[in-house]
Amino acid sequence: MNIYQPHLMRIQEITDETIDTRTLKLEFRDPSVAAEFHFSAGQFGEYSVFGEGESTFCIASSPTRKGYIECSFKATGKVTNALRRLDVGDTLGFRGPYGNHFPLEEMKGRSILFIAGGIGLAPVRSVIWNVLDLRDQFKDITIVYGARTVADLVYKRELEEWGKRSDVKLCLAVDPGGQTPDWKGLVARIPTAVEQTVTNSVDTFAVICGPPIMIKFTLPVLAKLAFPGERIYTTLENRMKCGLGKCGHCNIGPTYVCKDGPVFTAAQIQALPQEF
Amino acid sequence: MTQQRFLSHEGLVALVTKLVAAGTQVIAPVRASDDVEQVDYRPISKLDEAAFGVRLPRRPLKELFLPPTEVLLYYRQTKDGVEISEVPTNARPRVILGAVPCDAAALEVVDHVMSWDYKDELWFARREATTIVSLLCNLMDAACFCTAVGLGPESFRGSDVLLVPSEGGGYVAYIVTPKGEALLNDSLAEASEAAFAAAEAARSEARKKVEPNLPSIPAEFSQWLAKNFNDPIWKTLSLRCHGCGACAALCPTCHCFDIVDEHDGSEQGVRRRNWDSCQTAKFTMHASGHNPRATQAERFRQKVQHKFSIYPSRFGEILCTGCGRCSRNCPGGMDLPEIVSELMAKAQAGPEVNKQ
Repeated sequence: MNIYQPHLMRIQEITDETIDTRTLKLEFRDPSVAAEFHFSAGQFGEYSVFGEGESTFCIASSPTRKGYIECSFKATGKVTNALRRLDVGDTLGFRGPYGNHFPLEEMKGRSILFIAGGIGLAPVRSVIWNVLDLRDQFKDITIVYGARTVADLVYKRELEEWGKRSDVKLCLAVDPGGQTPDWKGLVARIPTAVEQTVTNSVDTFAVICGPPIMIKFTLPVLAKLAFPGERIYTTLENRMKCGLGKCGHCNIGPTYVCKDGPVFTAAQIQALPQEF
Repeated sequence: MTQQRFLSHEGLVALVTKLVAAGTQVIAPVRASDDVEQVDYRPISKLDEAAFGVRLPRRPLKELFLPPTEVLLYYRQTKDGVEISEVPTNARPRVILGAVPCDAAALEVVDHVMSWDYKDELWFARREATTIVSLLCNLMDAACFCTAVGLGPESFRGSDVLLVPSEGGGYVAYIVTPKGEALLNDSLAEASEAAFAAAEAARSEARKKVEPNLPSIPAEFSQWLAKNFNDPIWKTLSLRCHGCGACAALCPTCHCFDIVDEHDGSEQGVRRRNWDSCQTAKFTMHASGHNPRATQAERFRQKVQHKFSIYPSRFGEILCTGCGRCSRNCPGGMDLPEIVSELMAKAQAGPEVNKQ
């Protein structure tokens, strides 16, 4: 089997997260592949619709949930629109897992602050469930999540579940103008929401994913809270083709997002050429 | 360590005939069918079809190992599901005869990325099935700079055998690898000391013809490029670049590719990889429309950085063989040795120059 050959996966379940964002729950067609498959939170794959092409997404489910993987995507281009046309029972291709992962082992025994914007919650969700499934191995868990409007919030049922848990501090926010009359969360952009929710960085790791503009304005807030760049983790999402370090598409200076990433610390990103 | 033997003209004629009869493909530089002035690497059936020592072939050997387009898988999609069939990862044995040493070296340079953690079996199946017999290069012109990138017209790099023309139309054969030895073993005779001395002299003569074109690129150049990523010079250097990607297509070491699906409206189709170039605007374009390399200056910088800084820092050598094809064929007149020379001068002058 050559390295570009995908495994076949069957769509078990489809969840519409927003008007244009969808989650697919996938299982391997071949049980022997399923038995061998392992991944860590933060890793990604190449998902394909035959006849349309491949697309790169993180694995949005937790490695603690066995027997399936999930991906969430927004219908934007050729492949993602084709993915939307698939039904439960249909087959798609998957290659992976590729890339590095979040340092779960290192995070054990510490607190974690999760910050996500929009569909940036997908990679963060994999870590959140991973941590919640091993809840007693971590200290405080704080989640700050926001989107432009209430309608743009993804994983709504899970947000509700996290909100009800006493061992999770959840702060939801929507941009000013994005609230509905019954909205109970904050009306604020993410940097402000973080400022209002988080008081210190003691023994805490931060995991932050979202639009570049959100990350740009949140990093100074984390710096003010004295988070060192080495304890802030994020992912980079460059255009990729192979995912294997061959095709030459995803590098930022000497760094290959597919092989050195997609998970990076804020300190690592700061040292990169500003070309992403 | 290489060993030197003698290969007569008759011996080489017989070898080609024997290989072809046994079903081994023999590829050599031949006069192009559309332009007798030009030379292409093409299959031959007997030695006198080959055009040795005429001109640098128009295109390097890359396409014989990484075709411009190749099928990665076949699929069939019915209402019952999808079936995919793999492409074979074996290749038929072949011999490349009369390769230009820089073209042979390129393959070994690209091997690094093709085996980086994940092994590209399609590339390596062809590499392993191919024996490369190079010929001392005397085709150099002003665009050549192989000696600046650590290679040379006499280099063994990437070759299984290097032939140096000798007395009576024969060759001194430098046996570089066991594969080369296995190919030629029955055809070789002892090389006389005089023949070997003459071959060594020819090798050093050839080298001297390229060396003045560009001084050897020092290892520190790679670090200088990395540190000067934001230098304003990238903007001016790239002004003549059209972003057409001809340089990448003709480059023996450019290996970037795209992966696309093609279907004909029926239930069947293929997934292919096609050559791609970092010089085109869509190469890095995100689905959102955001483009990390939105201007040609950034794209040209990527090309130079990748070849002379990123690849060396990852794999310990420059991703360029100095063949000069990019310069000779650029519609905008971009001249890589001239550009590298300008950057090297700037690197040597130190940071003061940046402030002027």
